[in-house]
Amino acid sequence: MPWRCEESPVRQADQEAQVAVRVRGLKKSYDTLVALDGVSFDVSKGRVFAYLGPNGAGKTTTINILCGLLERDGGEVSILGRDVASDPVYVKSRIGVVTENSNLYPELRCRRNLEYLGELYGLSGGERKKRAEELLCGFELTEKADAPFGSLSRGMKRRLTIGAALVHRPEVLFLDEPTTGLDVPSAKALRRLVRKIVDDGTTVLLTTHNLFEAEELAYDVAVLVGGRIVACGSVDEIKRRVGGARSVAVRFSGTVHEDALTSACPAVKSAKPQDGFWQLDVADLHEALGQLIAFCQQRGCRIKDVGAREPTLEDAFVSLLAGAARPDGRDGP
Amino acid sequence: MSQIAGALAISRKDIESYYGKPPLVTWGLLFPAVLILAVYVKDRAGYLAVAPGIIGMTLLFGNTSMAAIVITFEKRTGTLERLLLAPLSARTIVLGKAFSAAAYGIATSLVLTLGFVAFLDMPLARPVVFGLGLVLGAGTFSFLGIIASVMVREVFEAMTLMNFFRFPLLFVSGVFMPVAQMPWWIKPVTYLSPLTPVVELLRIGVQGESTLGPAWVPASIAILFFLAAGAVSIPSFRRCTMR
Repeated sequence: MPWRCEESPVRQADQEAQVAVRVRGLKKSYDTLVALDGVSFDVSKGRVFAYLGPNGAGKTTTINILCGLLERDGGEVSILGRDVASDPVYVKSRIGVVTENSNLYPELRCRRNLEYLGELYGLSGGERKKRAEELLCGFELTEKADAPFGSLSRGMKRRLTIGAALVHRPEVLFLDEPTTGLDVPSAKALRRLVRKIVDDGTTVLLTTHNLFEAEELAYDVAVLVGGRIVACGSVDEIKRRVGGARSVAVRFSGTVHEDALTSACPAVKSAKPQDGFWQLDVADLHEALGQLIAFCQQRGCRIKDVGAREPTLEDAFVSLLAGAARPDGRDGP
Repeated sequence: MSQIAGALAISRKDIESYYGKPPLVTWGLLFPAVLILAVYVKDRAGYLAVAPGIIGMTLLFGNTSMAAIVITFEKRTGTLERLLLAPLSARTIVLGKAFSAAAYGIATSLVLTLGFVAFLDMPLARPVVFGLGLVLGAGTFSFLGIIASVMVREVFEAMTLMNFFRFPLLFVSGVFMPVAQMPWWIKPVTYLSPLTPVVELLRIGVQGESTLGPAWVPASIAILFFLAAGAVSIPSFRRCTMR
């Protein structure tokens, strides 16, 4: 069985009213290719939910179905209590979407782009002018207000595209690869913006390949592989549940052989020499340190340097992908 | 928001972005003006028989092309997706797109007509019928352009697809020759063309008479084509944009 988010204890504690997006058994195929095979998850209100997966896993297909751009073959989708398939106009009026490409009108000025989208979302003339100014100021684009969108730098385009998705103050914001192609300062500034958006009470569903970004922004995570959810829960849960081993770097005073080290320390799952250190994957840090000290005493050597690193979301993600790739382990570890 | 307000917002934006640009305005005016002037210089008395057909042909080519180009272009740039994400029905988007294309066709045709009235003494025997022909033609051809555009990915594909029916329509729709003078074997096809009733309405507007009978006959046929094109364009747009 694939992981189901509703089975998580955290999810069980969530009240119905606290769920912004609910997906159950979502299915979609393109001819013979199964893109989504019974995907289920919940996105809690006011949180960032990271939807992760390798290329072709079905992330964008899911987002397109949730936004009403694509029809589903089966399953249920509810956004703020309504089904986008049966009530698309209502749902679209409550969500904002930033697609992978910055797709505002290149020939229109930045301010006009925002005002036009405000008009499509039913804002009155005065309201949309005021909102456009607010967003231009908030996204540090006031100086570019009268420049055509097409003339902006990539980072500026991305910022304005996110601003445009917020023009009608949506309750749920879908961010599809928001920092792809941006330089480091621009990506950092965008992450700061996303945190501010969430602080203002917006729910964010984020898809990204940048696992550092997901770890920094998201509270909850779902990992999609081959159209199926292989893990779902809070970032800490996923790291604990799937990341498993911690990484320990140790430098000994004498020569140590890998076989001797791993046989004397059962808590060490693997050991690799790197830059004068031994990089160890350990199942239990406390137990491993005890075994390492005993090993040194027995061998007559000393530990000259030691450092431990928590598993990252990236470690967990890689582990999940490896598990999903195993012939007997499609459902993950 | 009111869906009508949404359609008008789309139209205003499209006119601002695409249709109000000088190259399009001059193309929409110069091409038919030069054609009609060429006929006028050759035969000052006979040009009136051809002028309504050329105005109808301009509407056909201008509106189908522009509606198709705008939608195909927006599909490529991703801005159509932006529109699809807004809280608007497919009907609203189609109407907005068709309205702006039709407004472009009507505006350029009107300027052209008024120029001929002023400088070539072209009569406007029944201006209301002429106006009805312009509106129904512009609307029908805009819907046809939308139908073609949603079925393809590239602008050239849309043009190729539409030319399969646009060029034969010129031959069978009474553009260069009144329907009554056509060979008997073409006539059945003539009545299947959406351009025929439009040209006949424009002809009645200019000359006061048509070989298709009183004005209500071509008007009724043109309304049927208009409604059918509109009815087909909305589900086509929905089906092709919601994969």
